[in-house]
Amino acid sequence: MPAKDKKHREVISKIKVIMKRVSDDVILNQAMPSLELPKIGYDNTIWSEEKRMLAIGNKTIMVGPHNAKKIPTFSQYLVMANAIRRLLDEEMESTIRGMYYATLSTVGDEKNKQKFWNGQEDSDDAIKAIELMTNVPREEFSVTSKPKGMISGPISLLVGGDLIDCNLGSRATSQLIPTNIRDLEIVDVKADFVMVVEKDTVLNNIRKSGFIQKYNAILLTGSGEPDRATRMMVKTLNERWKKPVVIFADADPWGLGIALRYKIGSESLSYDSDRLVTPDAKVLGMMFSDIYDYNIPEVARLAVTDEDLNRANDMKKKPWLQDRKWKKELNLFLERKEKCELDAFFKHGFKFLADTYLPNKLREAGVI
Amino acid sequence: MQNNLECLKNKATVEVVNDSNQVGSSSQIRSTHGNKVRYHRKAESEFFVDNSALAGFTGERILYMAVRELLENALDSCEISHILPVINLQLRILDPDNDLWLIACKDNGVGIPADKVPVAVCSFLTSGKYVEKQQRGLFGVGLKMIAAFSTKDTDHPLRVWSKSQDEPEWYFDLRTDIGTNKPIVLSRRIISQSEREIDGEFGFKVEAVLRARLSPVTRNKIYDYISHTSVVNPYAILTFESDEGVVTFERRTTAMPNPAKEVLPHPADMDLKTLRKAILNHEHQKTTLHGVLCSSFQKMSAEKAREIIVRAGLELKSADKYNEHELIHVVNICKHTKFQSPNTEHLSPIGEKILTAGMSSEYAVLVRKDPNDSSAPQTQLSARVYKPSLTAYSSRACVINNRPTIVECGITYGGDIASFKLYRFANKIPLLYDEGSDVAREVISEVEINKMGISKKEVKEQFRNSETRSERAIEYLPIHIFFHICSTKIPYKTAGKESIAAEGDLKRYMKACLSDLYRKVSAQIRREMKIKENENKLRLYKHYIPFIVNAIAESIKIDEKKLTSAFHLLAQKYVGNELLIMAESESNTAAEPSNQNLTEITTYEKSLPDLAKFKNKSKFEMSRKKTVSQVHRQKQDPVQVTLDRYKKSIPKSKRL
Repeated sequence: MPAKDKKHREVISKIKVIMKRVSDDVILNQAMPSLELPKIGYDNTIWSEEKRMLAIGNKTIMVGPHNAKKIPTFSQYLVMANAIRRLLDEEMESTIRGMYYATLSTVGDEKNKQKFWNGQEDSDDAIKAIELMTNVPREEFSVTSKPKGMISGPISLLVGGDLIDCNLGSRATSQLIPTNIRDLEIVDVKADFVMVVEKDTVLNNIRKSGFIQKYNAILLTGSGEPDRATRMMVKTLNERWKKPVVIFADADPWGLGIALRYKIGSESLSYDSDRLVTPDAKVLGMMFSDIYDYNIPEVARLAVTDEDLNRANDMKKKPWLQDRKWKKELNLFLERKEKCELDAFFKHGFKFLADTYLPNKLREAGVI
Repeated sequence: MQNNLECLKNKATVEVVNDSNQVGSSSQIRSTHGNKVRYHRKAESEFFVDNSALAGFTGERILYMAVRELLENALDSCEISHILPVINLQLRILDPDNDLWLIACKDNGVGIPADKVPVAVCSFLTSGKYVEKQQRGLFGVGLKMIAAFSTKDTDHPLRVWSKSQDEPEWYFDLRTDIGTNKPIVLSRRIISQSEREIDGEFGFKVEAVLRARLSPVTRNKIYDYISHTSVVNPYAILTFESDEGVVTFERRTTAMPNPAKEVLPHPADMDLKTLRKAILNHEHQKTTLHGVLCSSFQKMSAEKAREIIVRAGLELKSADKYNEHELIHVVNICKHTKFQSPNTEHLSPIGEKILTAGMSSEYAVLVRKDPNDSSAPQTQLSARVYKPSLTAYSSRACVINNRPTIVECGITYGGDIASFKLYRFANKIPLLYDEGSDVAREVISEVEINKMGISKKEVKEQFRNSETRSERAIEYLPIHIFFHICSTKIPYKTAGKESIAAEGDLKRYMKACLSDLYRKVSAQIRREMKIKENENKLRLYKHYIPFIVNAIAESIKIDEKKLTSAFHLLAQKYVGNELLIMAESESNTAAEPSNQNLTEITTYEKSLPDLAKFKNKSKFEMSRKKTVSQVHRQKQDPVQVTLDRYKKSIPKSKRL
């Protein structure tokens, strides 16, 4: 049964072309087949000054059975491609975990039995490879991840035909950001600006304090590392709905890294930056200097690890952190060797974060 | 007040003094009257029965030790006259309720003269082996221990058949009088023609009943012991009969090691005891001290002997007239005099030819459980021969503890061998316990395997699927390493004689041997590794091609069979090409040596007609037939190299 969706038909035909090429290589050309795809990772990620985001370089890798170590990878890619084709043929959708389970298997005979996938990471990589080979993001072929991003505030969404108002009067809960973005539409945005925070605990605290109503803001979090849907939501709000975006994360290199995912992108997803990155977003906090400016008591400060220091030293060299303000912050961190979570403001009282710190920072930046 | 205090103090001291006096006197009384020490002499037999652990006869190990002692005695008595051994060993349960076992051993060795049998079997510390040469048994304890235990725990006599040269076959029923270390002869008679147990010209058979338990662990140790023994005695036919079945270890070569010769003690090893014994031997011959020295010690020239007596400042008189104070001077002078290195004629190393024959047809006893047959014998014994794809041998002679010592080392690799194993031998006796503390262990972990031209990483990658969990790369390889140390004084670590200590330079020589072997086999190992790698690759293709074909066939219209066969063909061509390229580059670089190796292989096979015959026996299925390639540079049997020659080469080996 052919798929109805045009995008899906495109993906299916691309997969079939790949399969045909492999079989032609084997049968007609008597040559080892191989798949060429862009290399993913730090050594093939470049900084695009013009777009102000990370982009993918031109290095490619050849995956094929000519290299004994790549035999499993090669078959994994083909098995995953076939599984995606089946998914689309059946007009179903799946999470990446679902795809992992759908393709679980063992390889070899009784004596040398192995798992086809060593873990879900392997199958996630295979899905990425299909994205790169077909040049279509996985959301477009109905493979999504479990939603984890959350949104709250004067915005209404149309999810699969159901209208959802995220401005919940009760202040009690937030709306999960759906990951099947093809079924998601933003109907209306009444807010003045969008505030992204690192963790859901902090978001809950701010929402409870009435911040949304007071400042007419949309609160958003990726619950740590943001998924693609969350990043895309931020980008859409900023670029299509022209809402300013501010980001608050913990005052440590890890938190800063998460904040930068929204603003400049990430190495592992650099091939998809155009769809995910919001270059105009402003990282407002938590600055390392805030630890001292707001007198975070010593008990609430955390000791740094060697990994933190390495990361910070690394960051100092990055072209996107070259302005004087960031250099000063990183130097302060390397000198004082202390870090701090946003939650540390609770030490000053439960309402301090929402009533004092955030308004101060927003005012400084001219957002309110 | 003051007075009072003074008074108290005095009183106290007086009391203390009194008290101590009393205690002292009473204890004295007790010791003199109650515990009178009585001295009496204990017979050797009683001592050894009470301290059976000294001879290794402890609870679980009784049967293992009995097997060991009997087998060693049998081999010794064959080798003493250069007879190819045919040994039959039996171990059967006699009375399961009372843990009684019947153990019997029959050999075709020289036997024991009838008049000596009772003493040789039953009296402790009576042995024909108290001479300076390498033998398996040395103490005259083993067989006596079996006799004593049999007497102690059962009412069965020890049954002995013996036929020595120019004598008829005699039969004895013996028990040991443990209190006096004397044999009790219950019966002795000449066996009639019809009852004969010994078929050949001579031989010896002993049958004993022992009370013992046999745990599965010890049972396996017995199997190990026999199969290890067959590795270093490939010229022997060993038959082992038990309730679980019969296993025969065939003879793989007719070559036997040169029997060890009895030698005179070396003067560097002289002490008061040896000197006095030498003088005693010449007692009634009116020999001078000079004569005694010359005829009783090796490497002692007339010149040297005269020099020693002069330096000791002794006047000339009959040898037995010197007192101990004078003799100790001689000993001391000898300790400070330089002599030629001791000769090695009293050692009997296995030798390259024999060890190689043993290593390249290694037996393993398999215990198989038959689930279908639930009747009495639940397990079935069978033997399997492991054929390696390559073997190598190396040896070194050295001096450890003033005694000449020969280190022999062998390696077998690949073929039927599936995993790493270390074999340790001391004077041809397998060492099975305490492997962890043996010097061989240290040697193996200290010699880097990259001497074989392969890296640890490579090894771990290639052999990842094997069951080895060890961190050491060498233990991932399908390799068996053999160490044989022979000396008249093995530096054992413990009284149990199960592991060897790293005494003197022993470790250095063992390391040199092993490094030598690693280098010798490096080219072959590399090729083996490559073959293994390609096998792994082909297996990967075989396992993954169905996945690939299935994915393609489900997506597009394709002839599945055609795609599969084309893919397999492609994979084979691809892996085959790599092998070809490797073979070409190898033959270019090493054309000459490989030719040489080839001729050596053929001569080797010719020299072992037995091995060739043995190979053809269909009884032992050999799944894979691979040529046994011999690697050796030295034409001369390295064991023959005397210590003098060895000494010259010391600086060279130090560089190793």
